[in-house]
This record gives sequence, C-alpha cells and structure tokens, in this order.
Amino acid sequence: MRKHADVCLILEGTYPYVTGGVSNWAHELIQEQNHLSFHLVAIVPQDDKLEMKYTLPGNVQGVTIVRLGHMEDGEKLSPIAARNLHGSLKEPLSKFMGSESINLEELKKIVNTLRSYHSKIGSEALLNSREAWEHCLEIYESDFDNHSMLDFFWSYRAIAGGMYSMLLADLPSADIYHAMSTGYAGLMLARAKIETNKPTMITEHGIYTNERRIEVISADWLEETASRALTIDKQRRDLRDLWIDAINNFSKVCYEACDHIITLFKGNQAYQLEDGANPSKMAIIPNGVDLSRFEKVSHRRTGHPTIGMIGRVVPVKDVKTYIRAVSLVKQYAPDIKAYIIGPTNENEIYYEECVSLVKLMGLEDNIEFTGQVRIEEYLDHIDVLVMTSISEAQPLVMLEAGACGIPLIASDVGACREIIQGTQPGDTHGGVVTALANPSSTAQAIYKLLNDHDFYEQCSNAIAARIRQDYNQDIQHNAYRDLYAKHLQR
Amino acid sequence: MAGIGFELNRLAQKDNLSGVVAALFHSAFATAGPWLFTVIALAVITYLYGEGTQVPADAKILVGYGTNYNLELLHFRGIIVYNFSFTLVLSAPIFMVMTRYLADQIHVKDVTAAPAVLFETLFLTFLFNLPVGIFFYFIYFDLPLELRLVAFANMFLIASTWLLAVFLTALKDYVAITWAFVVGLSLAIAISYFVADDYHATGMLVGFNIGLAVIVFWLSARILAEYPYKLTPNFSLKPYFKRYWELMLIGFFYNGAIWIDKWIMWFAPEATLLMPSKMRFYPDYDSAMYLAYLAMVPSFAVFVFNVETQFFNHYRRFYHQILEHASLAQIRKLHKRITLSVTEGTRNLILIQGAICMVAILLAPQIFEALNIFFLQLGMFRLGVLGVFFHALLLFGTIILQYFDCRKSIMWVYAYFFFSNAIFTLIVMLFYGFQWYGYGYFMSSLTSFILGAIVLFNHLRELQYHSFITNNNSVKSHIETTATKRHEEVWH
Repeated sequence: MRKHADVCLILEGTYPYVTGGVSNWAHELIQEQNHLSFHLVAIVPQDDKLEMKYTLPGNVQGVTIVRLGHMEDGEKLSPIAARNLHGSLKEPLSKFMGSESINLEELKKIVNTLRSYHSKIGSEALLNSREAWEHCLEIYESDFDNHSMLDFFWSYRAIAGGMYSMLLADLPSADIYHAMSTGYAGLMLARAKIETNKPTMITEHGIYTNERRIEVISADWLEETASRALTIDKQRRDLRDLWIDAINNFSKVCYEACDHIITLFKGNQAYQLEDGANPSKMAIIPNGVDLSRFEKVSHRRTGHPTIGMIGRVVPVKDVKTYIRAVSLVKQYAPDIKAYIIGPTNENEIYYEECVSLVKLMGLEDNIEFTGQVRIEEYLDHIDVLVMTSISEAQPLVMLEAGACGIPLIASDVGACREIIQGTQPGDTHGGVVTALANPSSTAQAIYKLLNDHDFYEQCSNAIAARIRQDYNQDIQHNAYRDLYAKHLQR
Repeated sequence: MAGIGFELNRLAQKDNLSGVVAALFHSAFATAGPWLFTVIALAVITYLYGEGTQVPADAKILVGYGTNYNLELLHFRGIIVYNFSFTLVLSAPIFMVMTRYLADQIHVKDVTAAPAVLFETLFLTFLFNLPVGIFFYFIYFDLPLELRLVAFANMFLIASTWLLAVFLTALKDYVAITWAFVVGLSLAIAISYFVADDYHATGMLVGFNIGLAVIVFWLSARILAEYPYKLTPNFSLKPYFKRYWELMLIGFFYNGAIWIDKWIMWFAPEATLLMPSKMRFYPDYDSAMYLAYLAMVPSFAVFVFNVETQFFNHYRRFYHQILEHASLAQIRKLHKRITLSVTEGTRNLILIQGAICMVAILLAPQIFEALNIFFLQLGMFRLGVLGVFFHALLLFGTIILQYFDCRKSIMWVYAYFFFSNAIFTLIVMLFYGFQWYGYGYFMSSLTSFILGAIVLFNHLRELQYHSFITNNNSVKSHIETTATKRHEEVWH
C-alpha cells in the first residue's frame, strides 16, 4: 500500500537529479516545511542515467520517476477497438498540436479516454498502431505538407508520446499537487486536478514557454524541409510552430487547472497573463535569502578594483559579454581583477571558447575562472557583482551579494531590475541595470561604480536595506507554510 | 531553469530507417541458390544415369547389390539425394542467419570477424547435421562399412558446400561460385561416371566426393583470400540467432517445404525399397519433380535481373528520400513507383513463367522421349510444372518481402507452405492414389502463393506505415531500451 503524502511536488528536469536554482529552491522548501510529508514526481529524459544530486530530507516519502516519452508497450488493440480509441483521442490531441486556443476540457477528454482502458494500453496502441499513423498523417496534411515527413513524424511522436507518458504514469496520492514549471510537469499537474480534484499550485521560476521557445528557435534541424526552395508562399505553420503551440497549450491547460499561479517577480506575470493565466489566481512570492548567513560576511573594499560574476559558465549567462566589458574597463583600470565564479564543466565547449577569448584579449592576468567554490570566500572582497545573463529568473546570487552590501550590475532580464531599482518609482537604486549583450553598457556601469565613491556607498546601503526588507527568507517560507496550511485544513 | 525540453538534438539523430536497407540482396541467393544448384545437379545425374536408375513399376522391393537393376547406381543416387535434401534443410537455419550477419557487417564496413564466423558456422552446421548423419549411416541403413564412411563424409561435404556458397554470395562473387560449381560438379560426375563399372557405389561416391572437395576448397580459398583477417574467437554472431530467430525458421520451413512431399512420397506404395540397406525413394516422382523445377531457372534469372535494375532502384530511392527529408507527397510518389515496379515485375514473371510452364506441359511427351524418361512420370511432371509456376511466384514474392524485412510474415507463409505440402501430399498418397500424385505439391504451392501474394500486396499498400513504424529500428530499439526501465521508484 502506497503512502499518502501531504504534498506532491512535480519536477521536470530538475531536483533531485539536476543541480541548479530551482533544485536548491525545492530542496529548501522541503526542508523548511518539515512538518509536512512530500512525494516527488521527477520527470526525466527517456534514456538518461540518473544520479541523485541531493540527500533527500527525511520528510520525502518517495520519488516517482517518470521518463518523458516512455510507456509500457501495452496491448495491441483490435482494429475496431483501435479505431474507437483514436476516434476519441484524435480531436483533443489535434487541438494540443494546433494553434487555436485550448482548454482543460480537451485534456479531460484524453485523460478519461485513457482511463477507460485501465492502463492496459501503451505505445503499441497509442503510437505504433495504424490509427496513430493515420492521425499523424492527418495533422501533417492539414498544416505541414511540403515539410519533411520524417522530421514531422518524430516531432509528432515526441509530442504525443510525451503527453501520453505523463498521463499514463503513476500519480502518487497526495493532498496538494505543486508543480515547479508548466510543460510536461504542468500537464501532469492538470491531470492530477482532473483525476483527484485536489488543490493544485505552480511556482514558476523562469517562464517555461519562453525558455522552450528559445530552444525551439535555435534547433537547426527543424529547418530541414523537403522542398522549401521550391515553394514560393510560406507554409501556414512549420515544425517550430508545432512545438511552440504544443508547449503553449500545455501551459494553458496547466494554468486553467491551477488554484494558485505563483511566480517570483512581477516581470514574469506579464508572460503568464499572455499564456492565459487567470489574474485572480496569480501571486508573487519572491525568493529570499538566509540573512543570518550573509550578515556574517564582513564585506570590505580592498582598494584594488575587484569585480565578480557568479554563475555556471554557459551561454545563457553570456560570459563573453562580461569578458569584453572587463577588457573595456581595463583601458582605464589596468589592474582590475575580475572573477568568474561557478562550475565550468557544464558546457565544456563554451568554456573553452571563453578561455580563448580571455587569451585573445590579453586578459589572462585580470580574469580568473574559479570553478565551483564557496561564494562567501569571494563575497567578502569583491567590489561589484556583475551579471550579464540573457535570461534569468530571480538570481539568488544577486540577493546574497546584495545582502552583503555589494552593489549589483545586471542586464535587464527577469527580476534583475526589480532587485536593483526596487518596485516603487522613488526607491533608491542598489546598482545599475544594463542593456542586454552590450559590453560597453556593462563596462560603463562598472567604471562608474568603481570610481564614484559616493554613488557606490549609496548603492551599497540601498541594496543591503532592500534585501533585508523584501527578500528575507522568512517571508518566503511563511508564505508557503500558510498556503499549504490553508489547503490542508489543519 | 527547470524543464527537459524535448531533447531536440537527440531526436534529430534517431533516423534509422536505413536498418531495413541493410537486410538486402543476398537473401535472394541464400533462399534460392543452393536449392537451384541441387535441382540442376540431380537433374544431370538423373539424365546421365537415366536408364540405370529407372525401376520397373512392378518392382517395389529390390534386394541385393549388383543385380539387374543396377542396385549400386541406385544406392549412389539414393545417398546423394538423402544428403542433398537433409543437409539443405538442416543447414538453412544457420546460413540464413549468417547471411544476415554478413550483410550487416558489410553494411557497417567491418568484416574482420568474417573468417572466424565462417568456421563457427561450419562447426554449427556440422553439429546440426551430425545426429541425422549418424542415424542414417550408422544406425538405420544397412550398408557396407566403406560405403557408410564415404556417404557420411559426403554429407558433410555437401553441408559445407551450402554454407560456403552462401557465404561467398555475400561478396557478390558469383563468378567464382559458378566456376567452382561447374568445374567441381563436372569433375564429380565425370569421375563417378567412369569408375562406376569397376568400383560400384563406393567408388562412385568417392569420385563425387573428390569433385565436392574441389568446390569446398575452391570456395574456402576465395573466402580466406577475400577476408585475410586473423582467426580470433568471436561472439558477435551469437545474438543474431536470438534476434533473427525467424530467419532460422524461414530457412527450415522453406527448404523443408521443397523436400517434404518427396520424403512422404518415398513411402508411397509405388516407391522403391532397397534391401537389405532399407533405403527408400520413389525415383519416378523424384525425377519428375526435379525436371519440373528446372522450369524455374530461366525466370529466376529474369527475376534477379529485374530486381537489380528496376525494383532495387525504386526501393533505395524510397528510403533514401525519406531520410533526405522528403515530404509526404514525394514519399507517396516513390511508394507508387515501388508498387508499380512490383506489379509490373509480377506481370512479366507470370508471362514468362507461364509461357515456360505451358511449353513444358505441352511438349512433355517430346521432352520425355528425347531424355529417355519413363512415360509413367508424365502426369506427375505436368502437375509438378503447374506447381512450379506458383512456387516460383511465391519465391519471388517472399524475396521482395525480405527486402522489407518482413521476417515474421515470410516465416508464416513458409510454415504454411511446409505444412500444407506435407498434409496435401499425405492426403493424396493415402486416399487418392497414383493418378493424383503431384496434386499435393501443386495445391500447396498454389495456396501458398495466394497467401504470399496477399501478404506482399498488403505490406506494399501500407508501406509508409511499415517503413516509419513497424520496420523502423529507431522506433523498435526505443521500445527495447526502455523496456528495462519499468517501475523505477525510489522509496525513502
């Protein structure tokens, strides 16, 4: 007999098998709410070897691993049964792959159809049957003829297979279902709502649809089409649209099924609204920092210009812009010291590129890759924290550095502007917001903070005060404690 | 950042449709080659020794050696027929799988294991044939010791010949095979013919063995020259027997189907029993059938030519274009061309095979007279020719199915061919009698052909579905790799 948990966390591609901001957040949430029991649903890629990256807290009852796209072979249905099955799946499934608006009813139809087969069906009936193939052709012919059949076939299979794998997987029994993202996790959450009608909530850090859109747009292979060169008029849709529409539709049904749509900062809410979230369900719960930990760090300026960026060395952090900015500042401050603090092994190729760029610009004496370290060792002596990311949610490192009184420079993404400038018009700035992927904008900000002593002090005080007031970890933990309590009715 | 995305890059690399293309051509020769060779060899022997091997219809049991009916010659021919038939059926399961293995190795351009695999499969073939050889030549048949030994050796020489010939077809070295067989077989028949009078069955068989040995050494020398790699123990073949078990059954059923009616007919009331050796056969039926099979040879040549020039080009383009990101409309066009080339090919073969069979049936009396064959066989020959008509079409159809890697379907069709031939022949022999001999094979090949045609045209009709899903290794391997991952759950 399976244990019943208070909260079921639905995690896609993150905790406890992947490290990162969201994972740390989830780990902390579970530890803080130690009066509750948790069950984790970890949605992971089909073929990945899994390695637990965290020690699970004692109040985690279990982890259900759901492999994206994987399901049992199941029974082969008779032609009549298969036609019935796909007869009822066809229409809602098409809508999930279509560009027109969708609602939870469509998912309900799929969930109920699948349930009526009592988990006897799997990939044989759902993906490998003639009827599934015919449905694939039907969608292809409605919007995609002229595109590569093979690429469409795999996209169709991946989307439909991903959906089915979420809907057929074991759903742990719990009182509250809480997802960390939309997408497949969101789909699972919506299914939980349909099947159990229990309270559901989502905490979005980054906006899933945005992140996936970037991925889809940069996927070159989706471009390979058969006779593109021969067609004069643009197709109504292409494979990128198919993926983007499907992902948007996952979000839509997820938002509709959610009782609480939470995010970390105001900027994200605009996207959520755009993706169909109901404003009355929306709330902001910012992340907080453990003030006691960072108040202990005694920050002092060494008199030697020192800056740091904290983050993994990966393209999304745009480390190259940081390096170029350092090179510009060096013209006026030849002895500048710039750290790049964070693991370098996640994207080796990118890391190598960054190292070459440092050499090319003659910055070997100025820039240091520290690798993964305890950040407190650096927070006590860097003058400014510089972030050049092209995408962020609400970077914890900015809150942590800010708590130490380190002025912040960050590109205008995610919650960076809110953190630096405050949410009210009259708030004192705690640093400088720069243009995206713009080395000279970043360099100017660095130069100003390093050389304008009064401005530096003003920023340092303002950011320390703001973090203490708005980003105290206790606020965050209490908010979730209250939210859970409300639904658990204890 | 949470979220898996959808592993876009990995998706792009999954396109494995080419797995089908590796199955390929050699299967045609593996299926038909050895058997055609048998037919030709036996037909030649029958013709050469025509008078000596004909047994008067009233003589059912012949006793002793060296009597009027030239019992030595009958024993010689009997042993060769037994060895040809049983080794073919027992070796086919192995060489069918071996062919597939070699095709795959050649496809990935790594044939270093080939010599090792040759000896492994030879060993396996011997192992398969051993019990039957021991049973016939050391338990069941009562023969002089020297004849037992030579017959036993003959069995393994013939088994080796099958395997080596099939192995060499993988290299497409048809010229070497043809020359080896022409020279070896001529030598075999010539020696046995000239020593017949002085050395009897044993001497003839020794002569025949010398000719076979020439073939065996010729072919092995070719293979070892083509694959000059070190002989190291190799286990890469082993999984193939598990993965392609259908091929083993295909080899067994198909070659079994060819022989089962003869084996049964050897027990017909009109069949001959040699005593005291206890060897039995039915020379009239056997000869009529061998002669009928010859009608297949010209159309087989046409078929091979057709496949290489017409069908294979369309076939290759179909899969190639899918991988080259063709649109559905383009794929459909190519699909139509494949279907058209198969239907046109079928039509042509029906015409050619039909014409040959018609001529054979009408001119049968003249042919029989020219070759000095008993007219008693005329009815059986004509039914045999009718059976061959459908048998040929069935063979061609299943070879096309092999291109599409429909192993299961082929297996069922041949299983039907095997069992129906056995059952129909048995019924005819037990309940209908002499006038009906040959009907069993004819009915069996007719119905098997209908079954095969239905399977082939059904597959062709749904070729796109099968290419993308049921025959797609990427879809299949995905199922295989994930099958082990069920019910992962971590409990705290």
